[in-house]
Amino acid sequence: MVGRMDDTLDAWFIREILVHEAALMRLLQRTWRHRDDVHDLRQEVYVRVYEAAGKSRPTQPKAFLFTTARHLMTDRLRRSRVVAIDAVGDLDALNVLVDELSPERRLDGRQILKRLAEAFDRLPARCREVVWMRKVQELPQKAVAAQLQITEKTVEKQVAKGIRLLADHFYGERFATRVPARSEPTLSVSPHGQQQTD
Amino acid sequence: MASSRQIELAAATWLARRDVGDWSVAEQDALDAWLAESTAHRVAFLRLDSAWREAGRLQALGAGLAGDEVPARGRWTQPAAAEDVFVVSRMRRRAAQASMPWRWLGAAVAALVLALVGTAAWYHAGNEPLATYATAVGQLSEVPLTDGSHATLSSDSQVQVAWSRGERHIDLMHGEAFFAVAKNPGRPFVVQAGGRQVVAVGTRFSVRRDGSRLRVVVTEGVVRLEPADADGGGSSSTLLPAGSVALMDGSGLLVRSLPVAQAEHYLDWRSGYVSFHNTPLATAVSEMNRYNARKIVVADPAIAGIPLGGNFRWSNTDAFVNLLVAGFPVRAEPRGDQVLLYAR
Repeated sequence: MVGRMDDTLDAWFIREILVHEAALMRLLQRTWRHRDDVHDLRQEVYVRVYEAAGKSRPTQPKAFLFTTARHLMTDRLRRSRVVAIDAVGDLDALNVLVDELSPERRLDGRQILKRLAEAFDRLPARCREVVWMRKVQELPQKAVAAQLQITEKTVEKQVAKGIRLLADHFYGERFATRVPARSEPTLSVSPHGQQQTD
Repeated sequence: MASSRQIELAAATWLARRDVGDWSVAEQDALDAWLAESTAHRVAFLRLDSAWREAGRLQALGAGLAGDEVPARGRWTQPAAAEDVFVVSRMRRRAAQASMPWRWLGAAVAALVLALVGTAAWYHAGNEPLATYATAVGQLSEVPLTDGSHATLSSDSQVQVAWSRGERHIDLMHGEAFFAVAKNPGRPFVVQAGGRQVVAVGTRFSVRRDGSRLRVVVTEGVVRLEPADADGGGSSSTLLPAGSVALMDGSGLLVRSLPVAQAEHYLDWRSGYVSFHNTPLATAVSEMNRYNARKIVVADPAIAGIPLGGNFRWSNTDAFVNLLVAGFPVRAEPRGDQVLLYAR
């Protein structure tokens, strides 16, 4: 949808991979101790999946996504200084959790709208105003700036922020079903160790 | 290397910038270059872009709301009876499981229902009679509609206008029409073409129908493409933001996302031109033929694929043919009311 050449790969990625983001995030958050890394891990998983799918489309996209995530975490553990031997075993065991983590559901239009409405209401006040005026009322940026007495640049920044927060909620269910951090994380990894992979 | 958060911020900034509306070809080139730099850029952009497209559905929440006020938080949850409006048994079971049940949507639907009920009397007297507008080959027609919208009919096209109290309904029987839609969120503007329909609130777009093939070009706002029998917002509906060129036939849907300025070239016919860019000769010829009773025929498959570009006045078949003969290994042979093209 972005470029000219590979509409189908992009469309496939949105349809088959992004829909599982909430489950992926739960997997990453449960498995990886350092929450700060999860954003980066997610990106790396998406990159690997997208590039692999560019060569050959996996027949089981969801399973492929989770396998990729497990491999990535294993790779990072191996490269990090602190490696818990049994942790790798735990990663494999996570296989069986996939369906628990990711109850199969395709959202229909009404469910999508409901989730968007939730996400929208959780935006910070100014951001929420700007998104409403730009996206729902489709007011020109200039008009929004004038009405809210802010600069056009600020309107643009608020839109950018709104896009990120809406995506986090829409795909990641960021606010809806946060998995509480375990007191005993499955893996214990030194943050400095992981930095090497960046 | 940029962190994933920096990349995401950059992607969001591109999107917000593109949304402003004065997006240029140079900016699109810069974005394309950024996307090509790394897969990380591309996936971050894809993710935000698709979520932002989905966010277009929020317009359904705005439908029927009066005034310019941004609705208060949680107002979707307020009307207690809202669930009764449409929640049916299967959904109710799911709703019981969800932490935030169906009140949101119920409220949106309730708001819409109330708006419709409230304005029913208003529209009741104002129902439009059926009206049909048609153009002959080579003719364009500007049709002002009573809601303040404008339709521009292309050559050899026909539409039927059937306003109802709930919706502004237009049937595209054949050909192509461009619509500049007056904003009225409470009363969607629906263009039906065969088994598909295109739903807009206030936007600019064109729909072309050739038998079962359909082309939708959006140059402003967002439209929703869906099966004509849909209740709206179903899973098979597709949102098309400005810059989209959607092509459909029996087998599927292809959407290209172009800079708006580039998408507008598809609508150059309104000012008397057709615009080609690396277009195969056969395609260019059939485009010219839409506007002319005197048809050009590509009589030799060897020349059908010759790529050509430029702007041509569609009313002038001779000038077009002369340019082909002058610029390409092509010769023209008039025969009756046709011009046959052969390889030279």
